[in-house]
Amino acid sequence: MAGAVLENLSTRKLIALCVVLLLFQAAFFMLGGIIAPSPTTAYPHLTNKCVDTGKHRHKQQWFIPWGEFACEKIVDLEDAIEQEIVANQIVFSIEIPNRPNKMSRWFQYILTVMDITIAYHNENPLGPDPVITMEISLGYRNEGDAPGDWKELIKTTEERKLECTFDRPLIPESNDYTYHCDPMPFMELGSCHHDYYLINIRVPVHEHKDINLDLGKLQDIHIIEIHQNGGFTKVWFALKTFVTPLIIMMTIWFWRRVCALNRQSVLMERTILALGISLIILDLPIEWLTLSVDIPFMLLISDIRQGIFYSMLLSFWIIFAGEHLMDQTERNRLSVYWTQVTAIVFGCTCLFVFDMCERGVQLSNPFYSIWITDTGKNLAMAFIIVAGICASLYFMFLCYMVYRVFRNISVKKTALPAMAKARQLHYQGLIYRFKFFMFFTLLCAAMTVIFFIITQVNEGRWKWGEEHTVEVNSAFFTGVYGMWNIYVFAVLSLYAPSHKDPRKYESTVQNGDVSGSSNEEYELRRTLTDSAATEEPSELYRMTGKTAQD
Amino acid sequence: MLPGLINRQIQVCKRNVEVMNSVAEGADMAISECQYQFKNRRWNCSTVDSISGTSLKGPVFGKVLERGTREAAFVHAISSAGVAHSVTTACSSGELEKCGCDASVTGNSPDGFQWSGCSDHIDYGSIFSKEFVDAREKRGRKQPNNRSLMNLHNNEAGRRTIESNMKIQCKCHGVSGSCETKTCWRALPTFREVGEKLKEKFDGATEVRTGRIGSRPQLVPLHPYFKPHTDADLVYLDESPDFCENDLKSGSLGTTGRRCNKTSKAIDGCDLMCCGRGYDSYTEELVERCSCKFHWCCYVKCKKCRRTVQINICR
Repeated sequence: MAGAVLENLSTRKLIALCVVLLLFQAAFFMLGGIIAPSPTTAYPHLTNKCVDTGKHRHKQQWFIPWGEFACEKIVDLEDAIEQEIVANQIVFSIEIPNRPNKMSRWFQYILTVMDITIAYHNENPLGPDPVITMEISLGYRNEGDAPGDWKELIKTTEERKLECTFDRPLIPESNDYTYHCDPMPFMELGSCHHDYYLINIRVPVHEHKDINLDLGKLQDIHIIEIHQNGGFTKVWFALKTFVTPLIIMMTIWFWRRVCALNRQSVLMERTILALGISLIILDLPIEWLTLSVDIPFMLLISDIRQGIFYSMLLSFWIIFAGEHLMDQTERNRLSVYWTQVTAIVFGCTCLFVFDMCERGVQLSNPFYSIWITDTGKNLAMAFIIVAGICASLYFMFLCYMVYRVFRNISVKKTALPAMAKARQLHYQGLIYRFKFFMFFTLLCAAMTVIFFIITQVNEGRWKWGEEHTVEVNSAFFTGVYGMWNIYVFAVLSLYAPSHKDPRKYESTVQNGDVSGSSNEEYELRRTLTDSAATEEPSELYRMTGKTAQD
Repeated sequence: MLPGLINRQIQVCKRNVEVMNSVAEGADMAISECQYQFKNRRWNCSTVDSISGTSLKGPVFGKVLERGTREAAFVHAISSAGVAHSVTTACSSGELEKCGCDASVTGNSPDGFQWSGCSDHIDYGSIFSKEFVDAREKRGRKQPNNRSLMNLHNNEAGRRTIESNMKIQCKCHGVSGSCETKTCWRALPTFREVGEKLKEKFDGATEVRTGRIGSRPQLVPLHPYFKPHTDADLVYLDESPDFCENDLKSGSLGTTGRRCNKTSKAIDGCDLMCCGRGYDSYTEELVERCSCKFHWCCYVKCKKCRRTVQINICR
C-alpha cells in the first residue's frame, strides 16, 4: 500500500481525530446506557385452562381467555375430575400481551419459551424420556377488528422432549411436589406485525397411538414471551440511520482517493473498500420497513448482514498483516491468502447453514426449533463445532502472521540505521502504520470482549445515584456497534492514500530537515519509491524485496 | 361486606374490586398450605370454622393469634405470602388489568409498555399484599405497638420469602442462537416451596422484645448473644403454649381426638402428640380408588379397593 494519510498526519491532527472519535464512542455508550431501556423484556404468562364444551364443532373455534368472548375456564385441573372433564377437552390459552396492552411493530420479533409444571403422583409418575405432543394454533387480531375476530396465522402439531428432574424420594409422601423441568423453546416470530396474538394449545391423549400417555400430572403451562423493547428499537434505528451516511461518504471518499492515484489499486485498498461496503450493508437501516410491511425474514437478513461484515473484518485483518510482512514474497493477490480465507468462508458457511436450518425453517413454522430433536441437536452442534474449529484455526494463522510481522519489524529496526534515508523512512512508515493498527484493533477487540463478559456476568442494570440507572446490556450493544463503525471509519480515513505533494518531501530531504521537526511531529513522508506514482504497484513489491536484502 | 376487614382494607377493596378474588384465593391457599405444613404437629393450623362450622364470625384461626407466638408469626407470614402469590399468578394469567403497567403502583410512564415494558408481576403482587395485608397493623396509630411491629415484620418476611425464592431462567437468542443477546426472567416458586421455606423459618424464629433505637421502637432479639434476625426471618414475642390441653384462653385446642403415628418417635408419634395421655386404637376398613389409569389431567378408570388400617386417636 502506498503512503497513507496516517503517516502524513501531524501529531496534533491525529490526536484531534482520536479525541473526536473517542467522544463519538462515549456518546454511543451513553446512548445505550442512559437513553435506551434494556434491549428486551420477558413476560411470564400463565396459560388459562379453557374447556372445550364441543358446542361449536362446525368451525374453527378460538379459545379466548378473557373479555367478551371468554371461554369457560377451570382454575385447577383437580376440579376437572368432579366436573367430568377429560384431558382432550382442555385448551391452554393465552393472549399476548396481557390486557390492556397491545403489541407494537417496534417490538421487531416475538420469542416464546415454554415452562411446564408437572406434579409428582406415585401412581402416575412421569415416564422415562417423556415427550409432549401439542396441537397449537396461533392467531392474531388487530385494533379495530371485531373483538372475537381472530385470524389464523398457523396451526401445527409439535413435539417437545421434557427434561425433568425430581429431587425427592419417589414415595406417596412426595405427591404434589413438582418436578423441575427445563424451559423449552416454543415459538419464534421474526416480526411483530399485529396488535394481539392468541395461542391455543391442546395436549391430546391418544391411547392407541401412545401419545401423551406418560406425562405425569401436568398442572400448568407457563409461556414466557420475549420481545425487543420499543425504546431500544427506536434508539437502535436512530443510531443506524445516523452512521450510515457517514460510512457511505467515507467509503466514497476513500475510493476516490485510490482512483486519483493514477495506478491500479492494490489488494490492501480493495480490501478496505470491501470492508467499507460490508459495513454499509450492515448499517443500512432497512429495518424501518418493518414498521409498515410484514417482513418475518428480517431476523435472518440481520444475521446474514452481520455474518458478511464479520467475515470481511476477519479477512481484512489477515490481509493487512500479510501486506505488512516485509519479506521478499510478492503478495497483493487474494490467492496468497487462500488458507485463511477458506477457513473464514467455511466457518461462515457453517453458521449460515445452521442459521437457515433454524431461522429459515421458522419462516414457515415458527414453532420449529432445531434443538428439539436429537438429530437436529447433534447437527446444530456439529455446525457450531466446525465453525469454532475454523475460528480457532483462523486465529492461529493470524497470531502466527502477526508474530512474523513483529519479528521482521525487530530485524528491520536493527538494520534501519544502515539503510538509505528513503528506505529507512519507508520502513518506518510501514512499522508505524502496522503498530498503530495493531494497537487500535486490539483495543477494539478487547473492549468488545470485556463488555461482553460484563453483560454476561452482570445483572444488566447499574444503579447510579438515586434515580439514574445504566442499562449495561443496551450500552454494550450500541457501544460495540458504534465502536466497529468508528473502527472502519478510522481505517477508511487513516489508511487512504495520502495526496500530499511528494515534491514537498523531496525538498525537505534536500534541506536535511527530516530528522528535525518532521520526525518529531511524526510527519513520516512517503518514500521515493511510492511517490513515483506512475510505477506499477508490483514495482513497489519488487523494490521492497530488494530492500529486504539490504 | 366481609366482617373482619378494617376500614382501610375496605377502601383498598373498593378501589381494586377485580383483585379481591385473588386475595380470597390467596388466603385460602395460605390456610391449606399452613395445614399441610403443620399436619403432624400438635398445633395443626386448624381454623375455627373447620371445627365449629360457623364461618367467618370470629377470627379464622381462633384465639391462638391473639398472642404474639411463633404460630401467629407463621400465619401472618404465610397469609401475606399467599396474597402476594395469588395476585402475581392472576397477573400473569391476564386476569387483572392493572398489573405491572399501572403507573400509580409502579411509577412507570404511561408509555411504559411500548418503550421499556412493565415491571415484574411479583412487584405488583408484593406491593398489593403490602397495601392490603399491612393496612390492618397501621390503623389510626401514631406509634405502632410491639405486636403490630411483629406482624408487619412477619408479613414482610413472608413476601421476602417468595421474592428470594424466585427462580431466574434465561434464554439466549443472539445471532445463530448465541448468548450475545440473553434475556432473563424470574419464575414464581410454587406455593408449596414457599410454605416449606416458611416452615424452616418457623423452626428458626427469633424471640424478640421491643427496644428503642433513637425515638423509634424496634424489635431487638431477646437474647443479645443470638444472631440478630434479618428482614426475612420470622420473629415472635411470646412463648407458645404446649397445645396439649384444650385451653380457650390461650386458643389451644388440645390434641384430644387427633390421629397419631404409633411407630414414629417424632412429634407426630403418639407419645408426643398425645402429651402422655395415651391413645385409643381401632381398625377401620377404607374403600379407596386404586390401580387407576391416569391421563395427564384426569384419571380415567379406577378400581375400588378395600384396605384395613389401624387408627390411633389421642385420648
